[in-house]
Amino acid sequence: MTLLTTHLPASETIAARAIAVDKFYGKGETEVRALNGIDVEFQQGRFTAIMGPSGSGKSTLMHCLAGLDRITNGSIVIGGTDLTSLSERQLTLLRRDRIGFVFQAYNLVPTLSALENITLPMDLAGVDPDPVWLDTVISTVGLADRLEHRPGELSGGQQQRVAVARALASRPELIFADEPTGNLDSTSGAEMLDFMRRAVREMDQTIVMVTHDPVAASYSDRVVFLADGRIVDDLADPTPDKVLDAMKRLGD
Amino acid sequence: MLRLTFRNLGANKARFAMTTFAVVLGVGFVVASFVLSDGLRSSFGDLSDEITAGTDLQVRPVSEFGEPVPLDETLVDEIAAIDGIRLAVGFVEGDESAMQPVKSDGTTINSVGPPQLTFSWVDDEGLGAFALIEGSAPDETAEFSMDVDAATSNGFVVGSTYDLITPIGVVEDATLTGTTRFGSANDTLGAVLMHVSLDEAQRLFGVPGTVDEIAIRLDTDTDAAAVVAEISQVIPTYGVEIVDQATLNAEQKADFNQGVDIVGNVLLGFAIVSLFVSIFIIYNTFSIILGQRVREMGLLRALGADTRQIRRTVLGEALAVGLIASLIGLLAGVGIAQGLIALFDALGASLPDSPIIVSLRTIVLALTLGIGVTLVSALAPARAAASVAPMAALRDGATLGHQSSRRRLVVGSTLLSIGIAVGGFGLISPPSSTLNVVLVLGFAAAAVFLGVTLVSPVIAEPVSRGLGWPVAKGMGTAGRLARENASRNPRRTATTGAALMIGLSLVSTVLIVGESVKSRLGELLESSVQADYLIIDDSDAGVTPKLAADLADTGQFAAVTGFRYDEVRLAGFVTDMIAADLSSMGLLLSLDLQSGTLPAADVTDVIVLHTDKAEDMGVGVGDTVTVEFASGDAAFLKVAATYDDDTILDSPIVPVQVFDDAGAAAVDQWVAASLADGVSAAAAQPLIDQIQQRYPQVSIDSAAEFQERFEASIDSALTVVNALLALAIVIALIGIANTLALSVHERTRELGLLRAVGMTRRQVRRMVRWEAALVALFGALLGVAVGLLFGWGVVSALPADFAGSLNVPFLRITLLVAVAAAAGLVAAWLPARRAGRLNVLDAISHT
Repeated sequence: MTLLTTHLPASETIAARAIAVDKFYGKGETEVRALNGIDVEFQQGRFTAIMGPSGSGKSTLMHCLAGLDRITNGSIVIGGTDLTSLSERQLTLLRRDRIGFVFQAYNLVPTLSALENITLPMDLAGVDPDPVWLDTVISTVGLADRLEHRPGELSGGQQQRVAVARALASRPELIFADEPTGNLDSTSGAEMLDFMRRAVREMDQTIVMVTHDPVAASYSDRVVFLADGRIVDDLADPTPDKVLDAMKRLGD
Repeated sequence: MLRLTFRNLGANKARFAMTTFAVVLGVGFVVASFVLSDGLRSSFGDLSDEITAGTDLQVRPVSEFGEPVPLDETLVDEIAAIDGIRLAVGFVEGDESAMQPVKSDGTTINSVGPPQLTFSWVDDEGLGAFALIEGSAPDETAEFSMDVDAATSNGFVVGSTYDLITPIGVVEDATLTGTTRFGSANDTLGAVLMHVSLDEAQRLFGVPGTVDEIAIRLDTDTDAAAVVAEISQVIPTYGVEIVDQATLNAEQKADFNQGVDIVGNVLLGFAIVSLFVSIFIIYNTFSIILGQRVREMGLLRALGADTRQIRRTVLGEALAVGLIASLIGLLAGVGIAQGLIALFDALGASLPDSPIIVSLRTIVLALTLGIGVTLVSALAPARAAASVAPMAALRDGATLGHQSSRRRLVVGSTLLSIGIAVGGFGLISPPSSTLNVVLVLGFAAAAVFLGVTLVSPVIAEPVSRGLGWPVAKGMGTAGRLARENASRNPRRTATTGAALMIGLSLVSTVLIVGESVKSRLGELLESSVQADYLIIDDSDAGVTPKLAADLADTGQFAAVTGFRYDEVRLAGFVTDMIAADLSSMGLLLSLDLQSGTLPAADVTDVIVLHTDKAEDMGVGVGDTVTVEFASGDAAFLKVAATYDDDTILDSPIVPVQVFDDAGAAAVDQWVAASLADGVSAAAAQPLIDQIQQRYPQVSIDSAAEFQERFEASIDSALTVVNALLALAIVIALIGIANTLALSVHERTRELGLLRAVGMTRRQVRRMVRWEAALVALFGALLGVAVGLLFGWGVVSALPADFAGSLNVPFLRITLLVAVAAAAGLVAAWLPARRAGRLNVLDAISHT
C-alpha cells in the first residue's frame, strides 16, 4: 500500500468537475435523458475510469466533459473554465490546447507520420513542442524507431500508443480516453494500459477513461459507475474482482 | 437488383446531381447547336424563297478564279428586247462596307457588327426584293435609301442629309430619300441595307458602264428554254452564264446555310469538348462512390450476387443518370438556343424569328450522347466494383481494386504515341476537307488527353508534393495536410486535374499560336518595311487609286504605291497576285532580292516572283511566264527579279498597268508611303490628317502602329475562342468541387478527429480549399504542357510566313495557371464549408 500513498498528489486539485449536469436528447414523449443530474469531480494527477452498461451515458459524459458535446443544464468546469459559456471556436481551442484525446479507433491522420501525428495539436496551434518533454514521451511510448512511419505501417497497438503520445505531448490538463483498448488484443491492451498508468504516476498526468472492460478499469485509481444517466457507484483502488462485484451489484 | 439501382441513386442524390450537371451542360450545348441551326435554316429557307420568287432568269458573269468581270451595261437593253421577256434589269452591288453612312453625331455604324451593303435600286419588288416604305427611291447623285430598321435604330431621318464614306472618298451631304423593307418582314439579321441609283452605284464603286448581274422576268406562258437560247445568242460566249430561279434559290439557301453551319458547328465543337471533359468527372464520381460502397458490394457478393449482377447494378445507375441528364439537357438546350438568340439580339444581329425545331435527330443524338458518355465513363468503375471479393464485406478499410499501374502506363503511353503520330500526320499532310482535318486532329487530341490522363498518376504524387511545398511551408498544418491530401490519391488527383487540363491545353494552344503569329508579323514588319506610313482599308472593299495619286501629287513623298490583289492563273495554278509600283518598291519594302533588279516605272511586261514559286515553276530572271486573268485575258511577262520568301509579301508582283490592261482589280487594298528627304513627320501631319478626313475608312499607321492594331485584332479573336473554351473549364471546376465534396465525405472520420484534437473550422476550410487549388494547379500545368505540344505542332505546320518559330506568351500562360489555381480555391468553397460544419461527434463515429 506504500505505492498508493506515494503517487497521490499532496493536494487534491480538481481537474474537471460536472455540476448538476443534465443532457437530454429529443423533446416531449421521445425525450431521452442521457445524463440526469450528474455531480462528479476528477482529481488532477489521477487515472479515473468511467464504467457502465451500454446506454448508461458514460460516453456522453465524457464527450460533454471534453467539450465535444453541449449539455442541457448544469455546468462543466475544466481547470476553472466554465465550458457552458464558451463559443464553438473557444471550445475547439480548449480541446487543442488543454485536453488530450485517445479514441477507440481511427486515432491518427493517415497522411501524417507518427511524429507529425504526435505533434499535430501543437502544430495546429502554431507552437513548438517542448523538445525535452517530447523526447520523454516518445521514449516512454517506445516508438523512437518508428517515428517516420505512417499509421498504415504500424500495428494496432503501436497506433494506439502513438495516439496516447499525441495526447500527452502538449502536456494537457486532462486526457480523455474512449475505450482505448477496445480494438486491441489482450497483450497490446495490457501494454497500453500499463503505459497510461505510468503516464499518470510517473509523469503526473490526469486521465479519464471510458471502458466496459473490468480488467482495463482495474488499472485506474478510481472507477465511477453510471447507469441510466446517473452516478450509481464510486470505487477507489479497484481490482478486477472489486469491479466485477460492483457490476454485479448494479445488475441486481 | 433494379430496386437496388434506384435505392443507390436516391441515397447519393447530391453527388449524382453534380455529375448530372456536367452531362446536362454538354448535352445542352449539343441540342442548342442543332435547335438553333435547324430553326435558322428553316427561316432562311423561307427568306430565300421570297427573295428569288420574282426572278425567272438571271444573267451573270462567271470565272474559274478571281473576281468575275462585270457585264457590259448595253447587254441589259439587248436582252430586254428579246421576245418573251417582260423586264430585264441590271444590278450593281457594292462590296461589304464599301459605302458607310455617317450618323448625325459624326460616327459611323459599328463596322465590326453585321455588314453594311449597298445595291443599285430597282423599281420592281419582284426583281429587287425591296419595297419602299417611306419617301422616294434614290435617283440622283448623292441620294440614298436605307432599310427601315437600320434607319430607325441609327437615327437616320428621311429628307435629311448625311455624309457617305465611299471608295472614291467622302460624298458630302447625300440625301436620305426613303426607307425600304427587305422581303415581307425586313429580316436583315441586323445588316444595314442601302440603295443608290444605278448610275450612282457605278460611280461610287468604280464600275462605269457595267452591271454585276441582270435579273429577268418572263412574260406569262413563255417557253423559258427558247428565251434562254435567244439570250445565249446575245451574251459573250466566255465568262457569262444564265441561271434559272430554282438554281438561284438553291444557291441563296446554300449561302445562308453556310453561315448557319459555321455557327452551328462551332457551337457543336465546344459542346463535344465539354462532353469529353464530363467523362472524367463521371468516371471520378463513380469511382469514389463505389469505393465507399465496397463493403456493400462484398456483402452482396457474399449473399450470392454474381459479378455480372453487380456490374449491371452499377451500369444501371449510370444509365439512369445518363437518361435523366440527357432529358434535362434536351430542355436546357432549347433554353440555351433561346438565350443565344437573345445574345445575338443584344449584340445587334437580330436573327429572324425562328421556329423552335426539336427534330427526332436532335432527340436521338442528345440521348445517345448523354447516355453513351455516362455509360462509357462508368464502365471501368463498374468492372472494378464487380471484382470485389465477398471477403471485402468483412474487412474494414477494403478498397476497390484497380487496373495495375503498369497496364495503365502501357495503355496510356500507347494512346499518347498514337495521338501524337496521328496529330503529326494530320498537321504535316492535312486531309483535303475541313471536316476530315477536324476529325483527325480531334481524334489525335482525344488520344493525347486520354493517354496523359492514364500516365499522369505516376507523376501526380511527386508533382503535387512539389507544388504543395510552399503551401505546406506557408499555411501551417492546414497547408501541410492540404498537400498530403492532394498527393495521397494520385489517381484521383490525376483524373480530376485531367478534366481541367483539357480546357487549359486548348486555351494555351490558342494563345501560343496567336503569339507566334504576332511575333512573326513583328519580325516581318521590322525586317521588311521601310515605309513611314501604311494606309490600310479597313472595309476590305478597297480604296480608289486616287488616294495614292493624291499623296504622290503633294510632292512630300519620296515613294508611294498602292497594292492591289487579285486571283490569277500562273503556269496552270490559281494564285494570288499583287499589282504595285515596282519602281518605288525599294524605298518602301525590302524584298531582299535574290536575283535580278526591280524594273523601272515604264517597264510594264515584267513580273517579280518569290524564290520558291520561281523554283516550283523552274524559271529564272529573263524567262517569260504566262498569266491568265479572270477576264480571260492573258499576259506574257518576263521575270525581272526573284525575292526572298521570308518577307511581308508572299505573292508574285506585277506593275499596275498589267492589272489595268487585263481588267483585274482596280482598287488598292493598302498603300505604302515614305516621306521625301527633309520632310519631317510633324511637317507631313497636316497632309496625313487631310487624307484621313477625305478617306475615313482607312487607317494610317506607322509600321509600329500597324503592328499594334494587328496584334489587338488577333487578341480579340483569341478572346472569343477562349470565352467559348471557358465552358470546358467551368465544367472541369465543377468536377473539382465534386471530387472534393466526395473526398470530404470519404474522410469524414479523419475530419472529425482533426476537429476533436483542435483543428478550427477555418483551418479545416483552408485545408480543403488548398487541396483543390493544388489539384487545379496540377491540372493546369498538365494542360500547359499539352498546350505546348499542340502549339508546337500547329506552329510547325503553319506556313513559315504566317507563324515562324514557336513563341510562348509566358506572362499570359502564367496568369492563366494562376487563375486556374485560384478558381480551384473558389470551386472548393462549398465542400470546404461543409467540411468545416461537420458535427465532430457524428464525424468521429461515422462509418
